[in-house]
Order: sequence, then C-alpha cells, then structure tokens
Amino acid sequence: MTDPTVEAWTRANADYTDARAEAAWAKDEVDWGVWHVPESELQALPPVAGKDVVELGCGTGYLGAWLKKLGAARVVGVDPTPAQLETARRCNERFGLGLEFVEAFAEDVPLPDAAFDLAVSEYGASIWADPNRWIPEAARLLRPGGDLVFLRNSTLAILCSPDEDLPTTETLQRPQFGMYRFQWPDSGVEYHLPHGEWVRLLRANGFEILDLIEIQAPADGETHERYDYVTADWARKWPAEEIWVARKDA
Amino acid sequence: MPESEYIEHNRASWTVANAAYTDGAAREEWAREEIVWGQWHIPESELSALPDVVGKDVIELGCGTAYFGAWLKRAGARRVVGVDVTPAQLDTARRMDEEFGVGLELIEANAESVPLPDASFDLVFSEYGASIWCDPKLWIREAARLLRPGGVLQFFRGSTLRILCVPEDGPAGDRLLMPQKDLYRLDWEEGGAAGTEFHPPASVMFAILRENGFELLDYRELYAPDDAVTHEFYSEPTAEWAKQWPAEELWRARLRPRSS
Repeated sequence: MTDPTVEAWTRANADYTDARAEAAWAKDEVDWGVWHVPESELQALPPVAGKDVVELGCGTGYLGAWLKKLGAARVVGVDPTPAQLETARRCNERFGLGLEFVEAFAEDVPLPDAAFDLAVSEYGASIWADPNRWIPEAARLLRPGGDLVFLRNSTLAILCSPDEDLPTTETLQRPQFGMYRFQWPDSGVEYHLPHGEWVRLLRANGFEILDLIEIQAPADGETHERYDYVTADWARKWPAEEIWVARKDA
Repeated sequence: MPESEYIEHNRASWTVANAAYTDGAAREEWAREEIVWGQWHIPESELSALPDVVGKDVIELGCGTAYFGAWLKRAGARRVVGVDVTPAQLDTARRMDEEFGVGLELIEANAESVPLPDASFDLVFSEYGASIWCDPKLWIREAARLLRPGGVLQFFRGSTLRILCVPEDGPAGDRLLMPQKDLYRLDWEEGGAAGTEFHPPASVMFAILRENGFELLDYRELYAPDDAVTHEFYSEPTAEWAKQWPAEELWRARLRPRSS
C-alpha cells in the first residue's frame, strides 16, 4: 500500500511541480513560500558557504539547488516520493549542481549522525512529517552548533482553514487545543503544531530558538495559481506562513 | 522624562479597577498558600513554570496589589521588590504586606524606567503587569538592565489569538476581528475610561527579547482547565472559549552572560 503523502505528491508532481521545477532551479536568489519573499528581506538563513546541508522533504530540490549555488559544500535532498526525486535528478543533471538525493521519510533518514551543519525544510518535513519524529532526526543529523531552518503554514491559517477544499476564512474553524495531525480532502497527512508546542519540542531536542519569522504577503502579491488555499488578501492581514530558526546546542 | 499619556490613562483605569475589584480581592490572593497562574488559577505545581526562587532577588514589574510577589517571597525569595504606577494599588499592597508580615519593598514607578541600579536582580517577573501595560521595547530593555547576567525574565500575558477575537463589547467568538498586521499597541475606551495595552505577536516578542540579549527558554500557550468557570471580574474570554483556544501565554527567557 502506498503512503497517502507519497501518493498525493506523486499526483501533484505530475500535475504541477515537475513542470515548474526547471524554472525554480534556474533562480539565483533564495526566496520563501507561496509569495516568494526574498531571503534578503527575511534573513532566515545562516551563512551557507562551505557548509554541509540536508534538506528534509526536498520535493523537486530547488531550495537545495539555491543553497548549493550560494556555496554550500554538500547538499543532500531527502524525500519519500520517487517521482519528485526523478524530477530533482533531471534538474540536477541539467544544471550540473552536484546535489545528492536520498529516498527516505524525514522521520527515519539513512544518513550518519552529526554529518551536517544546516538542516532546512520548506513545506517539506516541516508539515508532512511527524514533528515528534523528524525534529529528533534533524537533531541527530546536525553537528553541535548546527542550524535548523524550516518554513510551515502558520497555526492561525490552519485554525481558519475549513475542512472542505475552500480558502482560509476569517473564522476559527477548529479548536487549537490538541491540534496535531490533519488529513485534508485528496491530500496526504499533515502535521501542524501551535507555537508553544514547537518551542517545547525544539528545546526538548537540544535546540536553542533563535528566531520566529511570521511572513506577510507583499502588498502586490497575488493569490497563488495552485496553492490558493490562502488568498493574498488574507495573508496581508494575518501571517499565513512562518519560519523557525534554531541552533543545536554546542 | 515626561510621563507617557498611556501611563496616566492606565493609572486612572487601575485606580477605578482597584476600588471596584482588586482591593477587595487582595486579601484572598495574599492568603493563598499555593502559587497559581492567570485567569483560571492554574497551579504552579501543574505548570512547573517558575525557576527556583530560594535566596533570589526578585522584582515584579507592574505588581498591582503584589500578591504574586508575596507568593514568591514565601517560596523563599531573599528580596522581592514590587513596582507599579498606581498609588491606589500600592496602598492596598502595603496594607496586605503589613497584615501578612511578608516584607516586600514597594516602589511607585513606571516599569519602563525603574529607579533601581543595574544588575541587581536574579528574576524579573510580570503577570498581566508591565507584560501588557508597558511598551515591550522599553520595559524589556529595562528588565535586561535590572538583571544580573544569567538572570531570568518571566512574564505572563494574554495570547495574540485572544486579542484578535475579543471585541470591545460583548463576548469573544470564533471570528478574527482585527488584522494581526502591525499589531503592537492597542488604545481602548470604555465607560469614559481610556487605556493602552501592548500586544506584539510572538514573532515580534522573539525579536525584542533577542535584541535585548535574552535567550528564550520556554513559551507556553495555556488553556482553561476542563472544570474552569468564567472569571467573575475578568469575564472575557469565557472559560468555554479558553478551553478551545489559548487565552494566556507564559514566557521565560534568560539574559545571556555578557561576552568578554
């Protein structure tokens, strides 16, 4: 039986991400999330030159590609969906960036302890893997003093998202108490923790919390052609996305 | 430095609130044997949120009638200083301190500018005090100044979600009533009184703490317990609301030792 998340991303890759991958790989600047807010504005990343990087839930691998272009020594993309890794490998060949790819779930990564300086995830493990399992995995993979940077949907956006396949509302659709595991219609399994739970989990796994960046859609941002579950108008009033920056204790 | 207009407004509204409620409620709070948190009196024994206070020097910023400082003194703090801008609340606090013989020091001052020396405390504390009534850019800087290196800042405030959902009049519901964008200072008017509160969202608080040399140790979102009933005086949000969404937040941070 195929994993529901792998199944959903196999379909999404055929429908959308495969065709968009090369344009994403071709970009020279790192940007974040649905509204492509530039890294130069958010300053979420530590310096990456010479660093060993692992991306947990890399999809078609574009974020890893950007980090390699910025001078990372080694970039390993980990993803459980073979179709997305095929796209990533094709782009890697075409752009000649020398990324490595591993087919695995971020909850259980077949790579050695303390092998990376930076672990990143952008709508990857950050929402598609169980945080109680992938955060300890990230801690294991990082060297002491290594950085963890991940982007996820905001808790507020999840609270305001209806069960049906409709855009985010201005009304709380569910309690925050106990929120954790979600399965939306025709989708894989997502995990969404509130801020307090993220702080507890990161601290319990030996991370110092450096930053929480709540992202606002730019004034001229438009609702995304595919990821229209939250409108640009909503995301200008409330944060729809957020980035966590943490450092493994030295 | 001239006093901000909002300090004057907040003093006026707390003078009224003290006569209406906090003066009359002070004795029961001071008499409490157990430390409890917030609107729903969650016991400290359940949260284990406080650092060890035995032998520590503590300052409470925005102490009101100073019941929390009294609990910390009884828990073994060496010195507890309560700072507040409202003379009426300090009068109540002094009367209680005499009655219970606890030995607090009470100072009339604004937590944004405290007339006490640098690096003289191990714990800076605020429960619905400076944590919501003062400008965080000012009072957190002041907290950093007052703390010894490695000292702890602990504060308790309403959640951002509560701010977004509680209307000026009437009950909190499930609707977001204001944008979070630019949320920082809130000025309100109610029955002829005016007040100002400060409610930057978590991401902004993270940045202010970091800029003032703090490392975040703990951040908890608190819900009302299953058996909670709506508070007699602080009636919004209701216990029912606060069982579903966190109405209160507890923060703990440590002042980084100054690097040489």
